[in-house]
Amino acid sequence: MIAVDVTRVAVISCPDWQAVAAQCELQSRLRHEPCVAVLHAQRVVARTDVAASRGVLIGMRRREAQAACPELRIAAHNPERDRLMFEPVVRAVGELVPLVEVSTPGVILLATRGPSRYVGGDEVLAARLHAIAQSALADISAGVQIPFGVSIADGRLTAMIAAAQSARNRAPVVVAVGQSVQCLAQLPVAVLSDFAEVDRGVVSLLQRLGLAFLADVVAVKPAMLIGRFGPVGREMHRLASGLDRNPPITVEPPPERASTHRFDAPVEDVNTIVHVARGVADELVSHLGAHGASCVRLHICMQTDHGEQTDRVWYQPEGLTAAAMAERVRWQMEAWVAARGITSGVVLLRFNPVGLRAREGRQLGLWGGTTQADEWSARAIERLTATLGADSVQVAQWHGGRDPAEVFALTAASLVDLEHRGEPSPVGERVWLGALPSPSPSRVYAEPVSVLVLDADGKPLTVSGRHELSAPPAQIKIDQRVYDVVSWAGPWPVEERWWDPLRQRRMVRMQLVITRNTLPQALLLVLEFGKWWIAASYA
Amino acid sequence: MRAVIEPFPALSPVPTLPVVAALQSIVPDGELVRGRTVLCSGDAAVSLALLVVAAATQAGSWLAVVGVPNLGLLAASEQGVALQRTVLVTPADNQREWASTVATVVDGFDVVMLEISRNITVSDARKLQTRIQARRAVLVVVDTARQRAVQSVFVPDVVLHTTTQQWHGLDDGAGHVQSRDVRVQVSGRRVPKPTQHCIHHVG
Repeated sequence: MIAVDVTRVAVISCPDWQAVAAQCELQSRLRHEPCVAVLHAQRVVARTDVAASRGVLIGMRRREAQAACPELRIAAHNPERDRLMFEPVVRAVGELVPLVEVSTPGVILLATRGPSRYVGGDEVLAARLHAIAQSALADISAGVQIPFGVSIADGRLTAMIAAAQSARNRAPVVVAVGQSVQCLAQLPVAVLSDFAEVDRGVVSLLQRLGLAFLADVVAVKPAMLIGRFGPVGREMHRLASGLDRNPPITVEPPPERASTHRFDAPVEDVNTIVHVARGVADELVSHLGAHGASCVRLHICMQTDHGEQTDRVWYQPEGLTAAAMAERVRWQMEAWVAARGITSGVVLLRFNPVGLRAREGRQLGLWGGTTQADEWSARAIERLTATLGADSVQVAQWHGGRDPAEVFALTAASLVDLEHRGEPSPVGERVWLGALPSPSPSRVYAEPVSVLVLDADGKPLTVSGRHELSAPPAQIKIDQRVYDVVSWAGPWPVEERWWDPLRQRRMVRMQLVITRNTLPQALLLVLEFGKWWIAASYA
Repeated sequence: MRAVIEPFPALSPVPTLPVVAALQSIVPDGELVRGRTVLCSGDAAVSLALLVVAAATQAGSWLAVVGVPNLGLLAASEQGVALQRTVLVTPADNQREWASTVATVVDGFDVVMLEISRNITVSDARKLQTRIQARRAVLVVVDTARQRAVQSVFVPDVVLHTTTQQWHGLDDGAGHVQSRDVRVQVSGRRVPKPTQHCIHHVG
């Protein structure tokens, strides 16, 4: 029996693309690194094949990963890079199949009905896609072997799993029509979290309930699963049965679903287009919202007045917000410009929500959720980014470190999804060994001020190799002005990353209270490179 | 049975934003009244300004920090500022763009923190304050000059002038900075009678 609500899709997937992209970027700077891992919030999120074979696992902390694989090269999390590095592959596939869907960098999805008929069958299509991906990846990689898989199957989940298998076999995998259920039945439930973004905690609960395989999940009545897990239960049951995650909406689709905007004059500036797109997206989202739906797959189409056109489908399982839609327009424009497919200004922009889901799963908390204040600030951030540039509008992201300046890193606000952002500092990981005790200084100087620290005899203060002060500090001299030291504490040695010649730091910290205009002021002093610096002050 | 009609306590006549418990007895009205300008000056100005805005950001308001150079973000998070609703804006150097930047900021944020700089002219400051009043936001101005400003470009509704009396926690060579005694002098247009408080401030 062929399930009615399942689409036959082809998947081209590069496992651990973030790490591969980082590796390729290093390679382009002529640095050959076989073991690369990408860290986000101090946890490994992706690693290369070689690193995986040495025992680096997803979710490890930095130290654990380095212990498992000492020659591991750590790369920063950079979604921009992941997206741009993957663009040539998307472009190459786009030459065979005009409409492709990129859900995350590293994964391309396409509906096979049309293309299969065009090239003459699923096997032929899979082989063609495999060859295209291979040549495109070979161009990017400059000699590095990039693992990738191509598969065709009924439904997203089966296709994703088959693609992972294909990456191991280095050959395309085609699951015959109607065979998805049998293929899925014998798989462990862990694939739900690995390939279908189901929460790990839920999967672990399934295992503890004795449902080890997807066949066991299918055997349970959907009503029981919904009763126990809510909407997630129904999703899991559908996924395990080889269906798409969300049932197609059976009510009448809202009329005039596609929103089209025609520009009066051709527009060349990306920011202007994104700005207009935001307005169109706002209308679309509220229109769909009024019909109780949110858009999970969005087809964006743009045309220039020379007749060039770009089409792409974007996917987000929880539903795309207006901001996310505008962001996708920006990505698509950048890719289009990079591919030199555009010779004139854009005259037409069309949003077509091709995949909808009922909004029941996006119930926001009674007190939480998006407020009016969130919306206003999001708009202000957008306008500020447009006028001042992305680097002038920043938000803090927890990074971790011993130095007060290092604990939070600043990122451009336009690169962060502010709507789905939790607290920046993870609970329980706040205090690092060797970090400065609380309270922290309220001014941390990006460029430390040089200062002279003197003892009672007027001689410069030094610290020996055993971290002993030559004498207690008595005075400090800033710009030829002398201040008396009231009290002090330290010296506290800090030695960081001594194994890395480029990033190593060796310094001594000291806290001082000086008298300035008869008032006490607390300072954080640092002795580094043989000189004292004011690193921070308590203002 | 007697029907007692009480006014709704939740609907206060003046819209306000909350402040932390430690400041409720110091700030006039015990809250931040929307539309007002608060000037934090003196040698604990930055730290106190962070404390002033902390409770508002936790209650869901967004904070824009405009041109406060070298702000210690860890200190902000320790004072209780919700960093997930904090945006740091670096305005352009020239004066005209400063005004337009701040105007955009005021349109989108409930709380705006900025530091006194030479770029700000009296007319800009007046326009900004009018806009703050119209938009019902709160402006917190930081001025780290030690002496109490006689004439500021802003006309603050509330002035919190801080003077650090003593630092605790440091002993010759031992201990670490823990807290300080700060004298806060409260004055301004909306303060009928200037008062003085001594607080034990951590940070």
